[in-house]
Amino acid sequence: MTRRRIINDKIKEALTWLSSGISAFVLIAIVVFIFSRGWETLNWDLLTTGYNSENLMADFVHVDMNEFSEFEKPSNLKDDAVFSSKYGIAFVDGIDANKETYTKVVYLDESSPLQDGKITTAGPRQGEQLALHEGLYLQKISYLDEAGDKKSAGQMSPEGKEASELVAILDNQSVEIVDFYAQTEGGGLRGSIITTLILIGITLVIALPLGIFAAIYLNELAPKNKLTSAIRSSIELLSGVPSIIFGLMGMTMLFPITQLFGIDGQSITLGAMTLAVILLPVIIRQTEEALINVPNGMRMASLSLGATEFQTIYKVVVPNALPGILTATLLSISRIIGESAALIFTVGTAITDNPAWNAKGTSLAVHIYTVMGGEQPNFELASAISIVILTIVLILNVSVKVITYYMTKEKDEPAKA
Amino acid sequence: MKQMKKILVLVLSLIMVMSAVAACGGNDEPEETEAPETEAEAVEVEEETDAEAEVEEEEAEEEVEEEPATDGLSGQINVYSRDAASGTRDGFESVVDFEDQLTDSANEVASNGEMATQVGKDAQAIGYVSLTTDFEANNLKAVNYEGAVPTEENVLSGEYQLSRPFDFATRAEGDYASDEEEQLVKAFVAFLTESQEGLEAVASEGGIVDLEAATPWDELKADHPIVDQDNSGITIRTGGSTSVEKTVRAALEAFVPYAGNFQFEMDQTGSGDGWKRVLGDEKDGPTSAHIGFASRHFKDEEDVSGAIASGTYCLDAIVTVVEANNPIEDFTQQQLFDIFTGALENWEDVQ
Repeated sequence: MTRRRIINDKIKEALTWLSSGISAFVLIAIVVFIFSRGWETLNWDLLTTGYNSENLMADFVHVDMNEFSEFEKPSNLKDDAVFSSKYGIAFVDGIDANKETYTKVVYLDESSPLQDGKITTAGPRQGEQLALHEGLYLQKISYLDEAGDKKSAGQMSPEGKEASELVAILDNQSVEIVDFYAQTEGGGLRGSIITTLILIGITLVIALPLGIFAAIYLNELAPKNKLTSAIRSSIELLSGVPSIIFGLMGMTMLFPITQLFGIDGQSITLGAMTLAVILLPVIIRQTEEALINVPNGMRMASLSLGATEFQTIYKVVVPNALPGILTATLLSISRIIGESAALIFTVGTAITDNPAWNAKGTSLAVHIYTVMGGEQPNFELASAISIVILTIVLILNVSVKVITYYMTKEKDEPAKA
Repeated sequence: MKQMKKILVLVLSLIMVMSAVAACGGNDEPEETEAPETEAEAVEVEEETDAEAEVEEEEAEEEVEEEPATDGLSGQINVYSRDAASGTRDGFESVVDFEDQLTDSANEVASNGEMATQVGKDAQAIGYVSLTTDFEANNLKAVNYEGAVPTEENVLSGEYQLSRPFDFATRAEGDYASDEEEQLVKAFVAFLTESQEGLEAVASEGGIVDLEAATPWDELKADHPIVDQDNSGITIRTGGSTSVEKTVRAALEAFVPYAGNFQFEMDQTGSGDGWKRVLGDEKDGPTSAHIGFASRHFKDEEDVSGAIASGTYCLDAIVTVVEANNPIEDFTQQQLFDIFTGALENWEDVQ
């Protein structure tokens, strides 16, 4: 080897190292960014609570406050809690994952007059007892002052937005509590996570059979002529179309199909059908790749033993191509989780807690769009959602690897024995 | 040789990662230490402890404030504008009266938040955001308009004129899936525009309303018997401007317990869709809504005469913003016109 060739080789080698270094750096930087921004926001409650809070309103029958002596402040209250000795209730201030300030009830004395609220909202629960209990987020509390005028305080009032101010008003100005309006905890991701899972399910049910059978036809059955290659290249062309175009197509062309099922408006099914179209090229391409990798000798052996063409395909070729098909599935799922543009048109941006196949919803990626689209983008929550998405993709990745491992192992064992 | 190169590359990428960690970590610290104006100060800030850095910056700000007009700030004005679909941009351009004359050198940003972040980072920048924006957190300075300070009182009194209305329009009479739906939408409109409770809810999310003119819901309720039954099977759908989302959500949530636990769906995509989805050509499509919102007045071609109710439910002020250390205090309409049309290109020319 000449000196020049050595230098040449070394430079090229260094280039490969540098390139992989940069890719690794970018990847790590993104992960570090997402985790440093989102980790503090992320907690179990965020994943399991719904987005919409339950809105509760209850009023009180006339209570003579003179019957109640002063309430004792419990010793185990945290320092930031503000205690009202008149009503035996304690509040804390805070800021939730959506960057909204709140006043949360952290303690209610067992004999407090605020135990005996009656729900005023029309419906099956009207008249039920409802205490202003621990864990509720107080929006507004109405009271009568000494002059007998009805006034209000709390987050949704001009006055009493902070716990200390609120307690001062209750203790010093109120004679009697009229009613309160409170919310349960909200702002969670449960609805969006379930929507994403439903979306994955329906999309795969539609796209996998279509894609796999199309790939089998193209690779095993189709005659090798111009028509076949035209079909193949148009499928490849399809994967280059921006997904927002598919969204518009879904909204105008697939919507009439979902209307046949009696769905009026955007729906998860409409989104899933649109995604299925987007995924077809990926699935067909990947499955074909897997089929090509099945050695031709296997087909020959099967056919020479007297098996028909279809027996060969379904008992020999497809089982051997399964790992590749699974990879296609995994790629599809990642694509579904990451898709947002097409879904904004077809599933909508309304965040629901009880997603159904025939109703609107929001996938996690579109949830990020909603969170970032407001007047005050919320990077922390967006990053927290990204962590959830990364985790789901990671779990799927690992499980597909495990499944593939066991499947190939099972197949190999009889051969060894 | 090979080993050494491996180590070298590893060390290099490690350094890059560490710097990224340091940079990200910095974001969690108090915002005051962010975005120092000059490079020299950037070095100082890094060298000093946080407390010292804060003091240093406060001093720097005071010094700048003492200087008159725009002395100390020179160079090109970086104009920031919202995207063409934005209601804020529409409002701003119509008040300052420079529609379709925006300078070609303007940077377009896609959201109110992005505008706040970008202008906060750029010492030469000028942009506009809504009054609900957190100026301090984004390192911004709110500039007066024609001598009026951007506050809620001044917006309501009409003194501060750089404001935009949040408008709504409902579907036409009889164009609902059921009579209950129509009654409930009517009741909600009354709650949103007239009731004490509704206006307070809107105000709690930064909407500017006149609480003095409000009536308690108990008095309005008599006209809307629908609220006294279980409405949990009815869903009210809203559409239109994204800017209205927080105020409308607060009002809807507050109305739920007054009106039999009805459901609601908010699909906010932009002012242009507000009319289209309740009265326009998308009203029977997959994205139809019961109440459409726009963060501007409905245009002439958006005919709302068919709606059961339409109008303005609150005001939102648009505020011209510059980076926090910019010495400018007040803009006139003419100045803004000149800056945004490109007639004025440098800060030293702003009189």
